[in-house]
Amino acid sequence: MSLELMDVVWVSLWLFTLLNVVAVAALSLVWLERKLLGRMQGRVGPTRVGPFGLLQPIADGIKLLMKEDIAPGSSSRVLFFVAPLLVFVPSYMVWITIPFGRDLFVRNLDLGLFFFVALSVLGIVGLVLAGWSSNSKYAILGGFRSAAQLVSYEIPIIMTILVVAMLAGSLSFHDVVLAQDVVPYAAVQPLAFGVFLLAGLAEVGRTPFDIYHAESEVVGGPFVEYSGAHWAIFFLAEYINTFMVGALGALLFLGGWRWPVGDVPAAAGVALFLFKTYAIVAVIFWVRATYPRMRIDQLMSFGWKVLIPLSFAAFVVTAFQMFYGWPIWMLTLLSLVILVPPIYIQLRWQRTPAMALAKHYAEIAVAVHAQPRPVPVAAVTEAHAAPGTEDDA
Amino acid sequence: MIAGVKGLLTTLRWLGKRPLTAHYPEQHLPVQERYMGFPALLTDDTADEPFCTGCMVCVRECPTQCMTAVMHDNPNVAEGTSHRRKIIETFEINLNRCILCGICVDVCALDAIEMSYEHELASFGRAGARADLEILLTLGRRYMEQSAWTPKNPEKNVAAVALAKKAAADAAKAAAAEGASSPAAGADAGGTAEAEGES
Repeated sequence: MSLELMDVVWVSLWLFTLLNVVAVAALSLVWLERKLLGRMQGRVGPTRVGPFGLLQPIADGIKLLMKEDIAPGSSSRVLFFVAPLLVFVPSYMVWITIPFGRDLFVRNLDLGLFFFVALSVLGIVGLVLAGWSSNSKYAILGGFRSAAQLVSYEIPIIMTILVVAMLAGSLSFHDVVLAQDVVPYAAVQPLAFGVFLLAGLAEVGRTPFDIYHAESEVVGGPFVEYSGAHWAIFFLAEYINTFMVGALGALLFLGGWRWPVGDVPAAAGVALFLFKTYAIVAVIFWVRATYPRMRIDQLMSFGWKVLIPLSFAAFVVTAFQMFYGWPIWMLTLLSLVILVPPIYIQLRWQRTPAMALAKHYAEIAVAVHAQPRPVPVAAVTEAHAAPGTEDDA
Repeated sequence: MIAGVKGLLTTLRWLGKRPLTAHYPEQHLPVQERYMGFPALLTDDTADEPFCTGCMVCVRECPTQCMTAVMHDNPNVAEGTSHRRKIIETFEINLNRCILCGICVDVCALDAIEMSYEHELASFGRAGARADLEILLTLGRRYMEQSAWTPKNPEKNVAAVALAKKAAADAAKAAAAEGASSPAAGADAGGTAEAEGES
């Protein structure tokens, strides 16, 4: 009995520590994003609060917590206040099984990858619920968009995770990292890595896929009506998810705490893991600094016509390689070969000179207009009768 | 796709560059030479008094009616150091109202008012933006130093030049009165009188 109690206390302690670690990581991301975005756009980012503006996210947090928490009068109160938790809790729960180092995790679940997939979809419920319970047009539009976007981008993510699981022969994060001793899966399956990064961007709603909270279209998406602490929870969940994509990329494709150096002291391993995570996150911010937002139809067609076929192709190629026992470099080669047709199509489409395209359309238009059309008799006689229109006729 | 990669490289290049931001309260960017800030009154150094005579042209022309001016007799005329019979006594510009249009400068024939470089005049009260004669002269003094200002019409407006001119005209008049028989001298005196009438 006392042993069980100790277990509960121990696990609670772990969870509390994890919550703090994840929250601090999210705050660091806020700072990093603003700083990187600023520098990439010729600005300086936060500089005022603390050295290099390091305390800016904390100041933001204090401001948000002190603000009045307003709920619209026509919202359904309970759901309105439950929705942020439904978004936050899954994004935090996933971290239970993420190994920061060889022995540094709360629980090493045998079905860790499956656990991640299951929980990451749960957050969407919270977003839709937030949109619905706000009783606001923008919020419900944002909620619908988030459902459409996140569900369709979940598929390529799952497929790439399956690829990794097949290669490693396990669904546990620990085993996946151990399996990447020599070559990380980013080198073995670059296609899957690319698809994972792109779909991951969409999954956490970063630019250019931040359509469900597009400020210029749906104002703030599901979060429009939120303020104060509840909005802060959404915000926190979003950054935790971003960090999650970085961590997943590091674990599944870059060899987590092990790859280039093998077994190192725990602290060095954690540092390596965090370095890889932040590198991927920096790439995400880099993309955000560069590209404008996509349209919702572009987003959906990109997901369904490009990413999902590519992820299936990566899956099938991996299956073939494993079934016939081809050498590992063959898989790399094949996954790059798969990329050739889409890139070729894209380049050909872009290299078509604009003038040729315009001419093409102009010819079509002329052909269409050249076809005989029935003209009202009255109009014809009027045109002939009117002075000065003989030349036109 | 190529364009996308180019875009990524552009942002990456900017990451290595120095930011363009000027940290405003600590770092002031220089204003341009022809920058038009708030209006200020200029000082005639030769007579140690403002150029402004309080003629009210700017007050009447101001589209926002942000100015008031009161004139009085200039004591310096009696002392012989100035040619301005009237001089400004109080002048007030409500800088909250001023729209920096520069019409006051355009209509002033006395080189008395100029659009200065001053643009950081925020204050904590509504009355804080009321600039009286002293403040306006201080701003004008700073503007004269910053811009190396020279009067547009010194013969008419600068006291020393105008007094010298008047003295010369008086001397010529006196000479003409002495030798009234000479027609050339008479024509000369008439020309000077005409010039004086213009001014």
